[in-house]
Amino acid sequence: MRRLGRRAAGMAVLAGIVLTGSVARAQDADLVRRGAYLEQAADCEVCHTKQGGVPYAGGRAFDLPGIGTIYAPNITPDPETGIGRYSDAQFDSAVRRGVGPGWRHLYPVMPYASYAKMTEEDVRAIRAYLMSLRPVHAPAPANQVRFPYNIRLAMIGWNLLYRPSGPLADEPGRSAAWNRGRYLVDAAGHCGECHSPRNMLQALSVTKSYAGATIDGWLAYNISSDVDSGIGAWSDPQLAAYLSTGHADGRGTAVGPMAEVVSHSLRYLTPEDVAAMVTYLRSLPARRSDETIAVVSPEALAQAGPNHSNGGRLFAGACAGCHLTDGQGRQVDFATVWGARSLGETDGRNLVRTMVEGATLQSAHGAMVMPGFGPEYRNQDLADIANYAIGHFGNRVGHVTAQDVAAARGAVPPS
Amino acid sequence: MLTLQVNGAAHQVDVPDDMPLLWVLRDVMGLPGTKFGCGIGQCGACTVHVDGKAVRACSLPVSLVGNRPVTTIEGLADDQVAAAVTKAWLDIDVVQCGYCQPGQIMAAVALLKGNLHPSDDEIDQAMSGNICRCGTYRRIRAAIRNVAGVV
Repeated sequence: MRRLGRRAAGMAVLAGIVLTGSVARAQDADLVRRGAYLEQAADCEVCHTKQGGVPYAGGRAFDLPGIGTIYAPNITPDPETGIGRYSDAQFDSAVRRGVGPGWRHLYPVMPYASYAKMTEEDVRAIRAYLMSLRPVHAPAPANQVRFPYNIRLAMIGWNLLYRPSGPLADEPGRSAAWNRGRYLVDAAGHCGECHSPRNMLQALSVTKSYAGATIDGWLAYNISSDVDSGIGAWSDPQLAAYLSTGHADGRGTAVGPMAEVVSHSLRYLTPEDVAAMVTYLRSLPARRSDETIAVVSPEALAQAGPNHSNGGRLFAGACAGCHLTDGQGRQVDFATVWGARSLGETDGRNLVRTMVEGATLQSAHGAMVMPGFGPEYRNQDLADIANYAIGHFGNRVGHVTAQDVAAARGAVPPS
Repeated sequence: MLTLQVNGAAHQVDVPDDMPLLWVLRDVMGLPGTKFGCGIGQCGACTVHVDGKAVRACSLPVSLVGNRPVTTIEGLADDQVAAAVTKAWLDIDVVQCGYCQPGQIMAAVALLKGNLHPSDDEIDQAMSGNICRCGTYRRIRAAIRNVAGVV
């Protein structure tokens, strides 16, 4: 009887250990799952993966005019070249304070000034997710940074000036959706890193927040609530559709870096989180900028007669097959281009880049691809097509030159 | 499992969501009348009608078709406009090698159903996405104009 009692007690202890173990494992799995979602919201993958490379293994180059070239490091759990030896505290310091192990100051190409507004728990969850990936041995190429920017300790001063001291505290007068949206836009999503202009010290402008900026030759549009140059005229469903799929009828389709953001990040967010982002974006103060929006309806476009200019003829042969002359798109909604901002911008910066690079957007229905124009088209031909498209769809006079096309062709990264 | 409305009948197909409609038509449903040309929506050889509109089946993921009716060249056998187009094509021997012609005819029928008396400009605009390696463009344009007098 006593022996039986001892045995029962032993089994109870054993069951207790097994139970605690499985609770811990379930908690770990939960943390990894939460981290996977937050990693998508923070979009680590797109910068920490080079073209055609292993996801998260780093190596993507960032060319900063006047400063140099900085390579995104490997963030897989490889102990030598990745984050395998980082503790939670070291990972948190790198992500939210811009200071890696050994007091190595990061450059703000890594958007730690935005991530500083994230919570410690969320960053811990992201690390848990990254640590669950397969380790890949991949040393990042050495950065090439000019003097004086190569003095990493100078970042101490920059951080004092521009790095937020801690996570965003909820604003009590605002709705839960607004606060969640602000967290996703300002902190995790780091939208301002592209969409806000920078000051002389490369920090994001506060007075022109979300007024648009040029980054890597692409125009990151004004997403403030200004009606003429921001998103003030977009409807809520248009904004939600654009964020979650990369396309909204009457607003065009995301291309270039924004297509990457939708492909790897935004399209995975829950409808509630997308709605929260819309709520917050709506509240951004209106900032006027030069690039105003031009929307010409498909009905008006259909009325336009055939155009016998070189650009008009080339458009009919090379573009209308998918986009149609009324801009409604032939095969898929993603080819519906009427109202797109790239067609209302008279320098055609994003338009020309899209023409020479093509575009790829991942969707729930597979990859949506526009092939780029190759060398069979002369620079002047592409400039003519761009100017025709700007005139036809944007009702503006396009100023695209053959030199602009040559420059855009030079900017295309080798595949 | 997806249900597609093709040539007036419902068909169940077990295919991945992102498979282009052209693959489903040719390889799964056994309708080889629609041709594969470039695979990137640039040549028009794969043109079919979706909801009456001429679309390139090679770059339309099947999951985006939904309930909209799909018509292939096989589905035009009893169509009045298509019969007039076929006759007009034969009358002036439009076809040379013929590979692009199912796509050309699908584009022409879609145009004529919406506009029975298209101008040369309207014909050029509607047909500009359909490429012909043999250069039969002038005869295609003439045949389309001839149909207008028949129907």
